[in-house]
Amino acid sequence: MGRAMLRIQGGKVYDPVHGLDGVRRDVCVADGRIVADVSGGRVIDATGMVVLPGGVDIHTHIAGAAINFAREMIPEDHRRAVALTRTPVRRAGIGGVTPSTFATGYMYASMGWTTIFEAAVPVLTAKHTHEELRDTPIVDKGCYLLIGNNEIVMDLLEAEDYERARHVVAWLVWAAKAYGLKAVNPGGVAAWKWGQNVKGLFEPVPGYQRVTPARLIAALAQIAEDLSLPHPLHLHCNQLGLPGNFATTLETMKLLEGRRAHLAHLQFHAYGGEDWSTFRSEAPRIAEYLNDHPNLTADAGAILFGDTVTVTADGPWQYLLYQLTGHKWGNMDIENETGCGIVPYAYRERSLVNAVQWAVGLELLLLVQDPWRIFLTTDHPNGGAFWRYPEIIRLLMDADYRRERLKALSPKVLKRIVLPDIDREYTLSEIVIITSAGPARALGLSQKGHLGVGADADIVIYDEHPDPGRMFGRPRYVIKAGEVVVEDGEIQKTVSGREFIVRPAYDETIEAFLQPLFEHYYTVSFANYPVELERIHSAEVYSWEEAVRQ
Amino acid sequence: MGGKPACTLGEVKNRADLIIYWGGNPAECHPRHFTKYTLTPKGKFTPNGRKDRTMVLVDIRETPSARAADIFLQIRPGRDFEVLTALRAIIKDQPVDPERVAQTGLTLDQLRDLAGRMKRARFGVMFFGMGLTMTRGKYMNSSAILTLAAELNAFTKFIAMPMRGHGNVTGADTVLRWTTGYPFGVCFNRGYPRYNPGEFSTIDLLVRGDVDAVLVVGADPAATMPQPAIEHLKRVPTIVLDPKVSTTMRIARVGILTAATGISAGGTVYRMDEVPIPLRPALRSPYPTDEEVLRRIRQTLAARTDE
Amino acid sequence: MAVTVVQNATCTFCGCVCDDIELHAEGDRIVKAKNACSLGEAWFLHHTAERLYPDALIDGQPASLDAAVERAAEILDRADLPLIYGLSNITSEAQREAVFLAELAGGIVDSHTSL
Repeated sequence: MGRAMLRIQGGKVYDPVHGLDGVRRDVCVADGRIVADVSGGRVIDATGMVVLPGGVDIHTHIAGAAINFAREMIPEDHRRAVALTRTPVRRAGIGGVTPSTFATGYMYASMGWTTIFEAAVPVLTAKHTHEELRDTPIVDKGCYLLIGNNEIVMDLLEAEDYERARHVVAWLVWAAKAYGLKAVNPGGVAAWKWGQNVKGLFEPVPGYQRVTPARLIAALAQIAEDLSLPHPLHLHCNQLGLPGNFATTLETMKLLEGRRAHLAHLQFHAYGGEDWSTFRSEAPRIAEYLNDHPNLTADAGAILFGDTVTVTADGPWQYLLYQLTGHKWGNMDIENETGCGIVPYAYRERSLVNAVQWAVGLELLLLVQDPWRIFLTTDHPNGGAFWRYPEIIRLLMDADYRRERLKALSPKVLKRIVLPDIDREYTLSEIVIITSAGPARALGLSQKGHLGVGADADIVIYDEHPDPGRMFGRPRYVIKAGEVVVEDGEIQKTVSGREFIVRPAYDETIEAFLQPLFEHYYTVSFANYPVELERIHSAEVYSWEEAVRQ
Repeated sequence: MGGKPACTLGEVKNRADLIIYWGGNPAECHPRHFTKYTLTPKGKFTPNGRKDRTMVLVDIRETPSARAADIFLQIRPGRDFEVLTALRAIIKDQPVDPERVAQTGLTLDQLRDLAGRMKRARFGVMFFGMGLTMTRGKYMNSSAILTLAAELNAFTKFIAMPMRGHGNVTGADTVLRWTTGYPFGVCFNRGYPRYNPGEFSTIDLLVRGDVDAVLVVGADPAATMPQPAIEHLKRVPTIVLDPKVSTTMRIARVGILTAATGISAGGTVYRMDEVPIPLRPALRSPYPTDEEVLRRIRQTLAARTDE
Repeated sequence: MAVTVVQNATCTFCGCVCDDIELHAEGDRIVKAKNACSLGEAWFLHHTAERLYPDALIDGQPASLDAAVERAAEILDRADLPLIYGLSNITSEAQREAVFLAELAGGIVDSHTSL
């Protein structure tokens, strides 16, 4: 390969997978991977610095039709956004809450994140997603297929043909060139095609007799297990955003007993109260359940005060948000598969609901005891832009700062949250777990999230600083696959990342079953539906038999 | 505020029982729109195809598309905004002045009938064309029809989408958005993307003489643009990429022949509903593709800039 | 002459982008475009892969592709504010390149949408 060798010496290494908690030792790199030792090559003097594995974002919206629709909806945000000026090593772009693709790659990398997962991809527009991922430099990436409202799958479950549903799902994962399965408001988005939503978990989805959200969730979690997908079902629960939705979330978690699942942006699903005026946190009950059930992982979906834009496949929720806010509304229903809604939104400290939401995200991160099972996300851009993660890290690591921030909230809010009673402060090792080691493990990416021999050489080096917000905001060095891509917070080199794709096992004859249905329900040719493998640059395909490196 | 309630064309095929075309003539401009996507195909929840649907055409003249319509509403030129605004009021049971409605060429009864059909529809859709977006009111008309559709969602499922025109103009919007954040008219003269329609729109730039070189690809502006714009194209050095020696290439300093998209050049094109579709070219061209030529120009320019 | 048949070909004439066209190609031309509408059929049958023109023209005179590319780069290099316009009848891969070129040239990129 001949890629430069590298030795990082004198830094304090945090590698929770290997029990290293600020141990001073050298980290060596050759051919893009961590090795035991090197002779020669560049030496980085990391004295006074900390050395961490690169960040892994398990849930973000950065590529494809939905986020690109959001970009269209908010030119006013782009105008006030950070401008990324072209340099010989960097494409031009804009930042803001929906950065352009090049900017997305640079901004993640400049923060120390080197692997990111786009959380919502329809098959029908997956080519578009992969084109955007290709234009997202530096980071490695992958995407989850939206499956929770796929009508062909729902029709099969209605007919109690689980076996065939499993083959169809496997075929669709490969057709989309996706990495995992994502369900958004299962059944609810399909109902939105008629302007409706589902009610509870146990009432049939409109148009069906047997298919309920509960049935869909159980079946899809089982399919993800039966297909041996590296990441379990990635679930956006029903009733997102609504007062009292914690009950639905608890019921959902109970349904998942005995199966693995990942609960996305849990903050949006941990609310009590009967209506907006009685809205309050139920984070303790959700966290308690999660603590007792190691089959589940979750990401926080924390919110931060300020302007953003909400982007989700949850069409009915977005329509409600449009009615509540009177703001702009974008909607895009995708035939037979899913939907999408866009509403610009501002989280305000003075709003009771927003202040509770802010607390709930932090409460979940602080009350879930096992950092290996809750991960740092903002459900970018829904709770706030990803480049604001350092603000959350500071809030987690500094209880005094948290108390300071709580003073700005109305006393009415304080009665509805438990954050003021929590003294826990994250250690740096725990931060590494919730931002890197934990999500890598939940994704089944054994080469990510640690600095052991054989791992991908995705390394971030920070100057030690008492303010973790500042420390994480500007890495001294970022190394991606062994190449120094960032120095002093600035892009030095653009490399292109890989895409992780899974090819699950399916019976090839499933195509003969699908094609006539497809021709009836769709408007593109069956042959033109799947994403061609050649479209993916630097694909790394995990087949059901073995990992095949392309 | 309004919105942009849209869907892919298959949703229309599978569900729509009320289809309204406004200021467009699909029979002549998008001939298979009716037969492949909207009106006649049998979809999942429209098993009887055409029989399950009502079609309304709103236009200023009776085009051949009117023959496909159940209801044709002929409005006076330039009155679209008024009609749309009256409909927004009627669906919300707000009072409307019949005399002012009469100025649009339609009667209040006709509008009430249409509003009633809209609210009673199970799944309604409005496709709007250049007869709406390029006439008096322009983007205000687009805004009005999108807002009407958004507001109809208080009663039923309703969608509105533009009938995007030539080839891959939708792809241009899509690609520009992901690479720059903006859909068209993007200026890089400060090294990062900026957007300001009117300032960075082609005709304004040419008529004002703001640009001092032009590269044209995938268009033939000398055949279609206003004369002052064409005069500026002649004045400055112009480069044209085209599969044939086009009108614009004839007035250009440099012309480069390229393979024709979808005929002998492969790649991806976005349908009007932003669904990406791969091309399967049937011929092998003696000329390079636009993509290849643009890349070579860029690489040559980069080499010059480095010197 | 042998006829090659391409199934599920895509018509890019109008915004419908129908992708169920069956193209029959004979040598350097398409002789049949099954499923296409009248506009699409004319589009497919009108284009050929014949070498009807030189590779390039500079000041109206036949030129090589290399010379034309060089000249184009020179024009863009010398311009203070070049405009890259059109983008309708090209692939999205070419549109990506057009944006990159505009960025490098410090110019403006615009499409039919602005009209």
